[in-house]
Amino acid sequence: MKFDRSIIPSPSPVSLFNVPEEEIIKLDNGLQIFHIKKSELPIVLVKVVINAGSKYDPSDKKGTFNLLSMCIDEGAGEFNSLELSEQFDLLGTSFSIHCNSDNIQLTFQTLKENFNKSLDLLSKILTEPHLKNEDFEREKRKIQTRLQQLKDDPDYLANVSFESILMGNQNPYSFPVLGVENNIEQIMLEDIIVSHKNFIFPNNAFVIVTGDIDKNELSYILNKNLSGWQKNSLINKLKLENKNDIHKVYIVDKKDSVQTEIRVGHHSSDRNSKDYFAKHLLNTTLGGQFTSRINLNLREKHGFTYGAGSNFNYYKDYAYFSVYTSVGIDETYNALKEIFHELNNIRNGVTEEELNFAKSSIIRKFPSNFETYKHITSNLAGKIIFGLPDDYFKRYIENINSVPLNDVNKAAAENIFPDQITTVLVGDKDKLLEQLKSNKFGEVKIYESEE
Amino acid sequence: MELLNLKYEKYKLSNGLEVILHQNKNIPLTAVNIWYKVGSAQEKRGKTGIAHLFEHMMFQGSEHVAKEIHFRLIQEAGGSLNGSTSFDRTNYYEKVPSNFLELALWLEADRMGFLLPALDQEKLDNQTKVVYNERMERYDNQPYGLAWELLITNLYNKSHPYSWPTIGFAEDIKSYTLEDVSGFFKKFYSPGNASLVVAGNLEIDKTKFIVEKYFGDIKSNNKVNHLDVPTFELNETKTIIHKDTVQLERIYISWLTQKAFDKDDATLDILSDLLAGSKNARLYKSLVFEKEIAQDVSAFQFSGKYGGHFTIVATAKPGKSLEEIKSEIFREIDNIKTIGIKSSELKRSKNGIKSSFVFSLQNLDTIADHLNLYNFYLDEPNSFAFDLNRYESVGKEEIIKVISNYLTNSFIELRIIPKNKIS
Repeated sequence: MKFDRSIIPSPSPVSLFNVPEEEIIKLDNGLQIFHIKKSELPIVLVKVVINAGSKYDPSDKKGTFNLLSMCIDEGAGEFNSLELSEQFDLLGTSFSIHCNSDNIQLTFQTLKENFNKSLDLLSKILTEPHLKNEDFEREKRKIQTRLQQLKDDPDYLANVSFESILMGNQNPYSFPVLGVENNIEQIMLEDIIVSHKNFIFPNNAFVIVTGDIDKNELSYILNKNLSGWQKNSLINKLKLENKNDIHKVYIVDKKDSVQTEIRVGHHSSDRNSKDYFAKHLLNTTLGGQFTSRINLNLREKHGFTYGAGSNFNYYKDYAYFSVYTSVGIDETYNALKEIFHELNNIRNGVTEEELNFAKSSIIRKFPSNFETYKHITSNLAGKIIFGLPDDYFKRYIENINSVPLNDVNKAAAENIFPDQITTVLVGDKDKLLEQLKSNKFGEVKIYESEE
Repeated sequence: MELLNLKYEKYKLSNGLEVILHQNKNIPLTAVNIWYKVGSAQEKRGKTGIAHLFEHMMFQGSEHVAKEIHFRLIQEAGGSLNGSTSFDRTNYYEKVPSNFLELALWLEADRMGFLLPALDQEKLDNQTKVVYNERMERYDNQPYGLAWELLITNLYNKSHPYSWPTIGFAEDIKSYTLEDVSGFFKKFYSPGNASLVVAGNLEIDKTKFIVEKYFGDIKSNNKVNHLDVPTFELNETKTIIHKDTVQLERIYISWLTQKAFDKDDATLDILSDLLAGSKNARLYKSLVFEKEIAQDVSAFQFSGKYGGHFTIVATAKPGKSLEEIKSEIFREIDNIKTIGIKSSELKRSKNGIKSSFVFSLQNLDTIADHLNLYNFYLDEPNSFAFDLNRYESVGKEEIIKVISNYLTNSFIELRIIPKNKIS
């Protein structure tokens, strides 16, 4: 077949895509269930999101909520820890618990035929956890060892040190979810029980059910299983204050590292800010994709790294901007120079072409954000956690599309501050100090964590 | 299970390219997935890692597609893309909104047929640095990151193609020349040595037409010879001690086993689950839950076209000895033989595997890659049900037999121990 191979094929007409829609079921105890019916496959995914993340950890007991999340499925109802796990396994149900800064999330994915039994087990965990001392002590020892182990992980060290340095200790998001080593010993079973009582209740949680189940059937099962879950009221108020110790470089010494883990960034406006879509488009050009400026510069032009990018990181009550990469240790200075160049440069604005590219990419990618049940469920969870409008996903494409170039350039000027950058480098101190003598990126300090 | 019976159409173009089409209209996306039947197993010593470096070069543009444009066009279309290299094969894949299928096929065809005119030293130098950084980031600078390399280089004998890591030895990565790269392309990157899967929201006839248009006149090179790998055995147990910047000691025990889809392959998978796949798994329960001598334990059967091995890994709790962990591992393996297996244990594993087969059908990339995988190893793309049945038909006797046949043989024991402990 003769044709000109240099001509880029044009797309055929776009196929229709409808965002999956949720229906709400409310129980008398205040529990809200968001149901998305999908029947292509005999699968049901359930996610319980509880407003009980590590941001609520007591100040001298960092790690409490993560430990609670580890203990909560160590026996419930008539089953001890091993039996409970066995019950899920026999059903072929994959069950997991995850704690982050904002929430504890309990998730299972199961075949339709085992939905009822799996939900029954989940209900026992929510309403009748044992929280026994023997299990608590074992999980506590496990997390203590885990924290020791994580000292080896350069990626973890970089993330945790960066957040801690950037936010300072008056911001509850500055502490690692897993806790800090010298706090864990102080946490007692009583702390876990109290946290459970004060946070794990139906009107402080929501449930998402995605998959092959009818609303009526679901409603019946949920009422049967979860209507006995006792209401309570939330007493904790979050206090949040940021540190503003800017334009410094902190070295986290990791002797014999062959690479430097780099994190640079600063505070940013939160998820509900008006310029969210402009910021998202901006970051797509700056560092959100493979073809974004930062990666093309550091990887494809200079070969400093396997990958580099930037993000606006959103927690429920706090956000920051950061650039991340890991580079050969001798290239640290050069890589930082290029990162700062890109940050300064983006403040001059993006081109019309770059904006159109970013819009096209985000808009056309939209349907694939709803491909798997996990995708669908976590998108909806995000909408609920951040209190986004009901029609958020329905209007998403329109919202992206309508951002003018001016707004993106304004977002660059109002959200990227190269002179307020905190830099964290995890690597071999001696090799790094030598390269950073000039203080070009800010005064250089050696970071000693508080432990 | 009828759900796992995937309808497809398979045919060959005149240049030898195998094409597999599968329609799935659940979501307006289409996956393109190409397997080239070349991996690091086809490399020569001294030039290890070139199959993987070559994968990187495939993203550096081709005659009609400038550097970075492949990425740009797919991302502009809202698609995702990547590639990966293993011992046996190299794959490249895109997932695009289905109206951009032709774009993805055009891009794949251009680098299959017209890569060499766009190859130059600058791109090679750049990607050599990127790959060298990839090696540092993923292996050299990771705690325990060199374990895989240490295991396979000692487990397989020097003439076996699995005796070097796919990423390549550090010194080899810096040695590639343009001739190495173009020679590799000419030898292995040919339609006759590849299979193309298109899966998703597509029309069969139209897709056939587009595939023929872009791939039909790409010339095929000489046929690639099947690797001749002589069988060998590990004659004696060997212990390797490696110092690393880690806090906790870790032990790896590895036995040679069977190739992918061989008679005992699935049985060994089930054995790994029985030992370490859940809280009630024998080793987890004993080492981590009850005795608390290990922080974690895992077990897996790795299998490829030319060999396989079964590995158990456990990390010691502070102050606990690897010796104690090792004897507990062997005691538990022995227990399976002497005490036997409970029906509930087997049911637990099988139900988990059955669910995971169904769960995997949610993702088009996974479906497309599996059609290629089954086609590569079994010459039958629609082998989902066959594959599941391999697991469902495993009985207690077979598990005990694989323990006797493999786990009582000589093994490689690797211990990674702290170089300098932080107090």
